Amino acid sequence: KMAAGSSGGPGAPCRHHAQLGACESRAKYREGWRPRAVYTINLESRYLLIQGVPALGVMKELVEQFALYGAIEEYHALDEYPAEQFTEVYLIKFKKLQCARVAKKKMDERSFFGSLLHVCYAPEFETVQETREKLQDRRKYIAKATNQRDFFVLKKVEGPKKTASKNSEHDCPWSTSQSHVASNWDPSCFRSSPGVSHNTAYPCGNQNQSLLTSPHYDNNCAEISGYFGQNTSLTPSVHPGGHTPPASLRQERMVPAYNGIDRFMPRTTHLQERKRKREEGNKFSLIGTSEDNTEVVIGPQLPEIPKVDMDDESLNTSATLIRNKLKEVADYVSTSSVEKPESSSAKPLVKQRRRI
Amino acid sequence: MELGRLEYLQALVTEFPVTDSTGNKRRCSLALSVWRGSSHTRPFSLAEAKEQVLANLANFAYDPSNYEYLRQLQVLDLFLDMLTEDNETLVEFAMGGLCNLCLDKTNKEYILEANGVEPIINCLSSSNEETVVSAVTTLMFLTTPRSRAQTTALPVVECMLRFSLSANTRLSNLASIFLQDYCSPPQVEEARNLSRHTAVGIPLPKD
Repeated sequence: KMAAGSSGGPGAPCRHHAQLGACESRAKYREGWRPRAVYTINLESRYLLIQGVPALGVMKELVEQFALYGAIEEYHALDEYPAEQFTEVYLIKFKKLQCARVAKKKMDERSFFGSLLHVCYAPEFETVQETREKLQDRRKYIAKATNQRDFFVLKKVEGPKKTASKNSEHDCPWSTSQSHVASNWDPSCFRSSPGVSHNTAYPCGNQNQSLLTSPHYDNNCAEISGYFGQNTSLTPSVHPGGHTPPASLRQERMVPAYNGIDRFMPRTTHLQERKRKREEGNKFSLIGTSEDNTEVVIGPQLPEIPKVDMDDESLNTSATLIRNKLKEVADYVSTSSVEKPESSSAKPLVKQRRRI
Repeated sequence: MELGRLEYLQALVTEFPVTDSTGNKRRCSLALSVWRGSSHTRPFSLAEAKEQVLANLANFAYDPSNYEYLRQLQVLDLFLDMLTEDNETLVEFAMGGLCNLCLDKTNKEYILEANGVEPIINCLSSSNEETVVSAVTTLMFLTTPRSRAQTTALPVVECMLRFSLSANTRLSNLASIFLQDYCSPPQVEEARNLSRHTAVGIPLPKD
């Protein structure tokens, strides 16, 4: 778009040419600039297409390099695939999607025997069953990560069908407390830190980290990051200080998703959460800030453990027993927390397994 | 509107009204900062900036730990609104965002309540491959006992039948799963019969 008229004066004609130049080059960039920016489950795949492999007979080395990221089920050269001169194209099928994801992230744009590799997902190689399983895994992951159960019974999906009618009605209260935790977070650390590890099959932290710092497109283009908040400067990394949730919290957010019984938060997580909320409550009462203008906050507020009625006598009994035990232990811990702050927080951290 | 050549530029500030837990209305800002690579500087349009905001949001939508905040910022409504935009890229990104977050129960219910199924079904006729593929998956994910009458309505099943024959593997795989796992055999049969009796299905007369 050309500026309407040049800005008067003797130097104007030169400026006019310059602006024309800018418009021309802008049109060119416009056409070529099409970032692949949004990743969905349909785009991702256990299959990776690797282009730019130098034709030096290095298939073995290539596979060895990729195998660092996880077990490989299949691999072969794609002779019929269009390739640049002196390069080959390979297909590598990982056993697990999350391994493929990490391998892609790490190996894309990496130099390999003097040539730059281009790695992308290749979902078009999936069978119907593989696609089906991919979607089911995604379903399961969301259900666990959000402490929910989707009880809509599909024909081919395994799951707790007998409890379908009961639980579709009410939300699991544990998930309510989960989301309450989430809303206390400073939104500027929007799941971007690479240090945030999901002890899970899905290193989603990786994905968002790369997207916040550099969405997947041409390096020459401008990079755009989004952030939430009022007039805070943007950095994709976690801010030190006050608003950053402590590492233990980040870890604890993931723990509930990966214990066997989804309904119950593990004891250690509960203690962590109560401790954190106590600390937060302290913080607010000191600073004097409160989102809630109508209430006067006096001292820290201890959260209540949500009570669950599980429509079942024995389950309720067990839940009450566990709840009471939790209370017992929590009281014990809170009295001794001053003496041993390290051990109570270190213990659950040690138990986590970091998975790549 | 053309954005100038700046090293660091605030491209877009969108305010979302947020109602907090005590019923007070506050405003949250989503601010976008645009950096330029040092080798090239070129002007942006507001449309491109919008596309990138949406892309970022759609990618955030992949991670469940962001859902609470996305809901507060009414990003779900934003995605649904973008489905009827003329800009194909915006539709593609919004549809991707919905696909990413619709498995969460709360999000699912919200989308269904907001009559989101209709615009998503309309995306099935898009010429953009990603949009269509995201729409197929989203319809599967949104299917519940209550919504299935809508998500597996006859025109949709018909459409899936056609898709299942596509040369595009991604599309045919997803359509096949839709037909096999989310439709009953009578539903598929009905759709098949319907296409058999239309003009398209009539074979050419033999010489």
